[in-house]
Amino acid sequence: MAIRPEEITSIIKEKIEKFDSSIDVSEVGTVIQVGDGIARVYGLNNVKASELVDFGHGVKGMALNLEYDNVGCVLMGPDHLVQEGDVVKRTGEVISIPVGAGMIGRVVDPLGNPLDGKGAIKTDKNMPLDIVAPGIIDRQPVKQPLQTGLKAIDAMVPIGKGQRELIIGDRQTGKTAIAIDTIINQKNIPENERCICIYVAVGQKQSTVAQVVKTLSDFGAMEYTIVVSATASDPASLLYIAPYAGCAIGEYFMWQGKDVLIVYDDLSKHAQAYRQMSLLLRRPPGREAYPGDVFYLHSRLLERACKLSKENGGGSLTALPIIETQANDVSAYIPTNVISITDGQIYLESSLFLSGIKPAINVGLSVSRVGGSAQRKTVRKIAGTLRIDLSQYQELAGFAQFGSELDKESQRQIARGKRMTELLKQNQYAPLKVGEEVLVLYAGTHGYLDEIEVTDVLRYEKELLAYARAQKQDVLDVLNQASELNKEVEEKITSVLDAFKTVFKPA
Amino acid sequence: MNSSQRMAAKRYALAYDETSPSLAQAQARAQELFSAVQILAGVSVPMQSPRISSVHKKLIINETLRDWPHAAAFINVLIDAKRYHLLPEICKWVDQLLDDRRGISRAVVTSAKGLSQAQQEAARKALSARYGKTVEAVFKTDPALLGGLKITCNGELIDGSIAHRLEKLQEEITK
Repeated sequence: MAIRPEEITSIIKEKIEKFDSSIDVSEVGTVIQVGDGIARVYGLNNVKASELVDFGHGVKGMALNLEYDNVGCVLMGPDHLVQEGDVVKRTGEVISIPVGAGMIGRVVDPLGNPLDGKGAIKTDKNMPLDIVAPGIIDRQPVKQPLQTGLKAIDAMVPIGKGQRELIIGDRQTGKTAIAIDTIINQKNIPENERCICIYVAVGQKQSTVAQVVKTLSDFGAMEYTIVVSATASDPASLLYIAPYAGCAIGEYFMWQGKDVLIVYDDLSKHAQAYRQMSLLLRRPPGREAYPGDVFYLHSRLLERACKLSKENGGGSLTALPIIETQANDVSAYIPTNVISITDGQIYLESSLFLSGIKPAINVGLSVSRVGGSAQRKTVRKIAGTLRIDLSQYQELAGFAQFGSELDKESQRQIARGKRMTELLKQNQYAPLKVGEEVLVLYAGTHGYLDEIEVTDVLRYEKELLAYARAQKQDVLDVLNQASELNKEVEEKITSVLDAFKTVFKPA
Repeated sequence: MNSSQRMAAKRYALAYDETSPSLAQAQARAQELFSAVQILAGVSVPMQSPRISSVHKKLIINETLRDWPHAAAFINVLIDAKRYHLLPEICKWVDQLLDDRRGISRAVVTSAKGLSQAQQEAARKALSARYGKTVEAVFKTDPALLGGLKITCNGELIDGSIAHRLEKLQEEITK
């Protein structure tokens, strides 16, 4: 775009004319100690908790500890710019972030500054980061499904719009992959039902965030996604506010009646950042050296996920917090906290991952506490007992390893279980549409795979989908739309499967 | 000096101040303490040395401050509590507490050029009216302000300097 000099001059002229040249009166204090991202300030007698204070040199801070003779602040910028004796001003504001449609498709830091080099972000509103979650009257029960595009999750641990579903597991078990696939899958969903997605990266490597952004762009998912990034090299204070910033951006859309999906990746690092700040502020340490209010830290964040009532526009905010465990220990402090706050968890296990089951979901320990009522009726009817059947299979399979002879029923159960486990495997970045999921799951639960070798199951699925997409798109379209699995729909499914039976060549 | 030391200094100062029931007495005793600190400035290193026993330290104090028994008693208490090093900080607080008793606020008024007597008086009056207290102002000059006044008083910064307004304008335009 050509720059029009007269326009710039006029802007400057307007700014000068509107410039408020009245005398500034501000309450001030003096820095008495600074270091490790923390400053202690003498003065600021009337400062309020969580108020934003200005240290000059472009560095802002947040007043967190109001003590007898000083105020403990965390710095939101480099601490080497602040020196002992510097003047600190009150701003009278709490920390807030610009929100609006202009944010979509952008990568921002937790203060709303763009990080993607695509220029300034045009927004019309600022929202405070830390607000109280909507109350009971403002909400309605979670009852709409949120499709992740992953067979195993949509069938066994369904997620509803407005739910909080924890993704938990060791490092390298595919936690982020599930979240990213869910974001990519929104592309498969008609625009009016599609979620606006927010990916909040807390304490991750810059390279990892860059990779995620690239993946999302490659799959065209950045069109409806916002990435909020506070990487490992950022001050702990920014890591601390990042999830709240993401949530505030999401809430703006939610109150406009839109559906929002937010991924907090991950809250273990968030808790660690908060622990660092708390210890440096000399707050007393508790279990695992976390401060006493670390539960509140996460509960007040996750409480903000909700499905608004019709009067409020019916928007929703679905949260997918991620927690990284150490050596599969879910009974550590932060995992138990977040498990108890959320409405269910998807538990990923490294042993499953290493034995080739991806997504490596532990069926027995994964659960969705409200998603059942939000599951699509078609999927629910087909996969209703799948979770229990599979966990029974795993128990039986363990027992069968001892080589004991099994009765026919148990053998059948094991054979079905093996095939279903195989069928629920899914590649990364390949989310399925609902219709495709219904078709594949129906084949599995209704015995179409029983005569097929276990090693052939994945090929069967691949070829079935290719066949249906090429020749039976009309059936898939019906299945995508179908709200119930009535006789008519079921007949359509069986006709496709029967027809495919003749095409498929076992190895 | 860390936070707990500052807090301790304030407590000692408060105790010293509260030993004087009347304003006149408080003023006299504060003056005593300030003079004592001035006299003892030369011996501050030996007074904090662990090699000299507290008995000897007290002897020195009682001998030097013979005419000011109250200040001497106070410093003896500090020596017993091993808090002698807090003396300068305590003096600051005593001064502050005395100001509170007298209803006085201190202000620092900075201007680009020196102010005339009449201007200084006007500034003092305006500040007294604003805070409802007698304001004792110290006047400084700083050419970098370019013009206008910059006043710190009562934990507030009143910045009407040209330099600050230009900074604000720059911020506004570059935003």
